[in-house]
Amino acid sequence: MAHESHTKTLPADLSAPAFVDGWRMRAIMVGGIFSVVAALLAFADGSLNHFMRAWVLGLLLTFGWSVGGLALLMVQYCSGGKWGLLLRRPLEAMSRTLPLVFAYWVVVAIQMKRLYLWAAVTDVTAALNSGFINEAQAHCIEFKRAMLNPFAFVWVSVLCFAIWGYYTWRLNTLAVRRDQESPDTTPFWIKKLENISGPGIVIYSLTMTAAVIYWVMSMDVTWFSSVYGLLFLVGQGYSVLALSILVAISLSKAEPFKTIMRQTEQHDLGKMTFAFVMLNIYLGFSQFLIIWSGNLPGEISWYLDRIRGHWGIVITLDFIFHWLVPFSMLLSRDIKRNKKRLVRVCQWMIFAKAFDLWWLIEPNFRDSARNLHFSWGMLEYIAVPVAMVSFWVAYFSMQLKTRPLVQTNDPHLAEILEPEHAQA
Amino acid sequence: MPAREGTYGLIAEFDNPSDLVRAAKQARHDGWRRMDCYTPYPVEEAAEAINFHRNKVPLITLIGALMGLAAMFSLETWINVLAYPLNIGGRPLYSWPAFIVPAYEWTILWAGLSACFGMLALNGLPSLYHPLFNAPNFRDGATTDKFFLCLEALDPKFDLESAKAYLQTFQPLSVVEVEY
Repeated sequence: MAHESHTKTLPADLSAPAFVDGWRMRAIMVGGIFSVVAALLAFADGSLNHFMRAWVLGLLLTFGWSVGGLALLMVQYCSGGKWGLLLRRPLEAMSRTLPLVFAYWVVVAIQMKRLYLWAAVTDVTAALNSGFINEAQAHCIEFKRAMLNPFAFVWVSVLCFAIWGYYTWRLNTLAVRRDQESPDTTPFWIKKLENISGPGIVIYSLTMTAAVIYWVMSMDVTWFSSVYGLLFLVGQGYSVLALSILVAISLSKAEPFKTIMRQTEQHDLGKMTFAFVMLNIYLGFSQFLIIWSGNLPGEISWYLDRIRGHWGIVITLDFIFHWLVPFSMLLSRDIKRNKKRLVRVCQWMIFAKAFDLWWLIEPNFRDSARNLHFSWGMLEYIAVPVAMVSFWVAYFSMQLKTRPLVQTNDPHLAEILEPEHAQA
Repeated sequence: MPAREGTYGLIAEFDNPSDLVRAAKQARHDGWRRMDCYTPYPVEEAAEAINFHRNKVPLITLIGALMGLAAMFSLETWINVLAYPLNIGGRPLYSWPAFIVPAYEWTILWAGLSACFGMLALNGLPSLYHPLFNAPNFRDGATTDKFFLCLEALDPKFDLESAKAYLQTFQPLSVVEVEY
């Protein structure tokens, strides 16, 4: 019997299924409702402080998907692999959400003084004398002034956005041109996109590190960690893979993903996600172990702010949510190959990422460090990120609709249409 | 094990994995249970087709991993707290964060060793003889480019003539009777 007889054929219509519009409508509705909730909570709390802190959480989540999606797109151009063909268009759509992420960031830049001590304090001596900051903070604000000042914050971030924007534009336009050309141009395109993506990954690591140092790490002026950028880099891989699997499996309910989504690639993506779950805890724990072993007053206080005063409960839960649950689930081969269950794990991972960011952000501030307590503002950590993520999802769905969901000018396409037992 | 005599089974030889998987699926559907697939490289779908999915290797690996974890963590606790207490920079004797790394390494080591040796043991290795090697085409093909489906004589449905005719319906390259 001829081998070719089992090969599937690609449907004629490769555009995104109609239910993606439904995602958009639902996301806009959820976003609207939670925006109102967030506004009410800000009134109940009587200040915008917590609103802005939660805003940073939402910014980091959506930034992780947008720029992390761009990074994964570049990684798969360099690494190859059939999973890459599957995810290419969803990842491109994620990378094209960058304008929305930029808009989110602009709000942070405007409200800088609420979030960053180095922006709020212009006269260090006066602030020290009034007891607003302690001596260590005063020293660090003065010493780091060259780097941590509003002007540098803005220009570094804008430069980073410009670089990511360039790569987004370049990879997205070339991908469209690639599909318009004949299949014999494939080797040229593979090389071309590889050559852009290779340096792009290095530049992404540097710019992403700079961005998270300014946006998150500098909330505590006294503390620094050299693994911080890498921690976020792996964290982005963690959340981007979770979201990509979620999107791919949801799209597979209809054509064209119904045809191209195979269990093999789903399993591969599950394994890769598992690797990121491991790497994530590996880096997070190494940072803790090194600082704990050193036990130096300059460093350990960052952890003490996040352990004492009932924050210890949160970090214990974070360990369980962020690592133990996805790790145990993804160990199982059956769960990785089961669509419904893998979706549940991925949804959980996105929640766990948000939970982890909450633990990372909130104890930076004096009212919460070593003092976990309830206030109406604390609920902003649910309302604001849900609203921001919903609007992001709406934007993402819109972008997903703009082009066919399958890259056709790619040698992997023939392979992905083969039955699953046809390759080693 | 006493020496067995007679027919071990029938092997059908296929040119590609797709035909093998289809034949195996059909045979399972038609009620065959004592059968096996032999391929030159892992074909997961063939294993699934004959429902050879469940084995005890994951469980053995998990148990090994937990044993490694428990062993190293208790060893470190015992050394540092009871056997040889040392004041290291004023830290508590029971400094669990420092114990995690070796405990983790042992978890991985024991998981790996358990998986490897558990797999060998469950495979019945080391075994010096297998009747299938009596078939000349199996000797040549199974490690290079041929795919085999074996219906074993132990299956209650097995009858030499009808089984042979049954395998022929899949249009294999050949059907060979294998002796013990």
